[in-house]
Amino acid sequence: MIVFDRVSVRYTAAPALAGVSERVPAGEWLGIIGPNGAGKTTLLRSAAGLVAHEGTIAIDGRPTGQLRRRALAQLVAYVPQLPELPPEMTASEYVLLGRTPHIGYLRMETRADREICAGLLDRMTLAPMAGRPLGTLSGGELQRVVLARALAQQAPVLLLDEPTSALDLGRRVAALELVDELRRELALTVLSVVHDLTLAGQFADRLLLLDGGRVAAAGPPASVLREEVLAGHFGPGLHVLRTAGGELVVTARRKWPASPVVRPPAPGR
Amino acid sequence: MTPAVRRPAAGQAPSAGPPAAPRARTGRAIAIAVAVLIAALVTGILAGPAGLSLPTVTAALAVRLPWHPALSVPAVDTAIVWQIRLPRVVLGALVGAMLAGGGAAYQGVFRNPLADPYLLGVAAGGGLGATIVIIAGASPALLPPAAFLGAAAAVAITYVLGAGRRSGPGAGLVLSNTSASIVLAGVAVAALLTAVQTYLQQEHSQTLQAVYSWILGGLSQATWSDDALILPYVAVAGAVLLAHRRLLDVLRVGETEASSLGLDIPRLRLTVVLAATLGTAAAVSVSGLIGFVGIIVPHTVRLTVGPGYRALLPVSMIGGAAFLVLADVVARTAQAPAEVPIGVITALAGAPFFLFVLRSRRARQDLA
Amino acid sequence: MRAVPGRLAVAMAGLALATTAAGCGSTQASNTSAPGPAPSAAFPVRIAAANGTLRVATRPTAIVSLSPTATEMLYAIGAGNQVKAVDSLSDYPPQAPRSKLSAYQPNVEAIVAEQPDLVVESGDTGQLTKRLAAFSIPVLELPAPANLAGEYAEFSQLGRATGHLAQAQREASRVRGQLHQIAAAAPLHTKPLTYYYELDQTYYSVTSATFVGQLLRLLGMKSIAGRAPGAARSGGYPQLSAEYVVKANPDYIILADTICCHQDAATVASRPGWSGLAAVKAGHVIALNDDIASRWGPRVTGLLRTVEAGVAKGSS
Repeated sequence: MIVFDRVSVRYTAAPALAGVSERVPAGEWLGIIGPNGAGKTTLLRSAAGLVAHEGTIAIDGRPTGQLRRRALAQLVAYVPQLPELPPEMTASEYVLLGRTPHIGYLRMETRADREICAGLLDRMTLAPMAGRPLGTLSGGELQRVVLARALAQQAPVLLLDEPTSALDLGRRVAALELVDELRRELALTVLSVVHDLTLAGQFADRLLLLDGGRVAAAGPPASVLREEVLAGHFGPGLHVLRTAGGELVVTARRKWPASPVVRPPAPGR
Repeated sequence: MTPAVRRPAAGQAPSAGPPAAPRARTGRAIAIAVAVLIAALVTGILAGPAGLSLPTVTAALAVRLPWHPALSVPAVDTAIVWQIRLPRVVLGALVGAMLAGGGAAYQGVFRNPLADPYLLGVAAGGGLGATIVIIAGASPALLPPAAFLGAAAAVAITYVLGAGRRSGPGAGLVLSNTSASIVLAGVAVAALLTAVQTYLQQEHSQTLQAVYSWILGGLSQATWSDDALILPYVAVAGAVLLAHRRLLDVLRVGETEASSLGLDIPRLRLTVVLAATLGTAAAVSVSGLIGFVGIIVPHTVRLTVGPGYRALLPVSMIGGAAFLVLADVVARTAQAPAEVPIGVITALAGAPFFLFVLRSRRARQDLA
Repeated sequence: MRAVPGRLAVAMAGLALATTAAGCGSTQASNTSAPGPAPSAAFPVRIAAANGTLRVATRPTAIVSLSPTATEMLYAIGAGNQVKAVDSLSDYPPQAPRSKLSAYQPNVEAIVAEQPDLVVESGDTGQLTKRLAAFSIPVLELPAPANLAGEYAEFSQLGRATGHLAQAQREASRVRGQLHQIAAAAPLHTKPLTYYYELDQTYYSVTSATFVGQLLRLLGMKSIAGRAPGAARSGGYPQLSAEYVVKANPDYIILADTICCHQDAATVASRPGWSGLAAVKAGHVIALNDDIASRWGPRVTGLLRTVEAGVAKGSS
């Protein structure tokens, strides 16, 4: 499990995170939502040890600040919003990078490492593309490759920063379904930043609403995805609906109701 | 909706792509590079103003080996082959390997395609050290250590300036762009030391020719003791760099992601810089400043074996050795017995070849 | 048997004796006048030179000269037929076997391929002495001397190394005598004549303490460069400025860059501000041949003669 204890991050004079505290039980999917600049990415990066912070973040009781890079990488797998994908690297080489925390400093990959990666590629139906350079893969395939690399780390904590931003809705859902399935199978703790509030509510166990570097709301989707809660942070134009199946859909409430198209005046009048 | 996951049936082996293919490709590239190197070495031993024929050279080589048949070779010819040509060819191979390997490693660790082994001030520091010795009229035997110390000191200053700890508002970013800072510090240090050296040269202009001929670089005074002097440095530096090639590949996804994968970037950078600097400083101390090798060879090799450091580093080293040996052959035969400075040859020969490879590769990509 | 007529016997004996005596005498004559084989006692010889002590085991017959001055000296002392090859810049005397060897960037392999038994150089670039020692080739370094005594000493060194010591010493005496002769013929002046000696277009000059300066001192001439800023530090070859030369207003301008930089009286006069110089107005510009001016061999007499002729013309 992950414990954030009064985590603060300061890039410039204004803080990016100001005293965020939260407990994430093991195996939970926590969706982090909030307006732009709320500190969502910063929270993930601090959990990944990529940003200096005040306060402590503890994973399974071990403060991350005291861990060496390698040890932290074995606990936390981080997928950035815009991963850097060297176009000439093949998919299998890329996924193999995920084994870095488990390979000795000056050692090479072992057969076991290669088999783990091969298994993951297979699992994500990427086996035919394994030998192809990343530059030749489609957006959806790349998304899966990036996820495969993160899973190759075999870390109990998975940090996903907008993992579906470049995908169409169908693929977006498919990717999230995959993460869900894997996290249940491998007992992963997932922290994800997802802009789509509906999807966030559908897949996360709990939501954490950040605004201005502070926690504005936390709890199951039903308690966070309410118009009165969201209005204070996203503006008044949001509308939360509950479908017959009990799912929450967040949509926009337009200023003007739908109306017939107004015909332009005829010339000469 | 297409299910994105397909579990393999129980007992079925994963059918992912063959992981052995890249290793076979690397092995093949290395074999080709070694063949080229051997051809270059042979050419190097055969070329020279004394006009020795192939049978003579072969006999001269064989005569010194323990199991040689009875051969009669003029002692002068044997001496030319063993005391002049062989040490020179060996030095060319060592220096070329070090410069190319150092260049490739720097390009990897600084993620900068324009990085070369002189990036952090090795050239300027070595040149200044040599200039001081020449101006002071000290014994020429002091040139190599002075150049070595100058080169090492310059890099040390660069590293301290560029990688020093920062405090203040930016300190919130653990991974501030230290690589760029180090590169910039290197540029500044090199500029400063070069200016000091130029000033000293002007003040003592009667030594101008001696200083300039050292700086232009060359293998014309290669002796076995030079080879013995730099061999440990080049061997250790080369081994360290090769040992880190997997980590340089990890670094290809950027410093942030590589850090999240467990890479200790400052430590990797320091190790690579230390090894490359020691090896390059040693090379500079006996052969002067030979340019272009550290940039041209890794890029050319990259166009043929790809950007993966697993293949790039070893093939660059072997290719760099071959390149410099061949450049030296041209340098000493083009206007025999006068010698063209080898830096001129590396520039003249390297740049067009690189352009040629670039265009042929680009043409293939356009058709693909 | 009747005895050989006594007078004929005496005449034949006398003839035989005279012939023998004449033969001995002519052998001795050829020993001293022609450059034949020297007495074997001259070798092996040890010579202290600028690059250490070298040992020449036998009389060298395949000398490689990497110094144009040394080439001139070798031929002047009668060792010309022992010379195998000279460097590319050794253009005097014309019959010297010029090769493509470089004096400034010696190529060890090319030198070794000539199989020399003595190499003469003017500077030990690239540690040539050490490198050729590995091939048992002795190297004699004869650097630019600091004064005339140094030049004479180099003649002796070369003479001992080649087995022409007596001839070398005679040549040195001849040079010395001629220099003094020229100096004596020069017109006297109440005040020493000043000169600006130009080495190249960037105003590098010589002080009176240099070799050339001392040569010109024989004529009673003094260089303006001695008092220039930086003259002490420059080792005798300071870089002056146009302003300094104009201000010093030397009596004579001596150009040693007529070949490399195409300078002559006309180009000097066309320099901005120079047309007002006394030397330019009076036509006291003496042009020297770059090569002769940069060597310290037997042709220094020619150099001094040229300057003396220019001064004599200028004084008339």
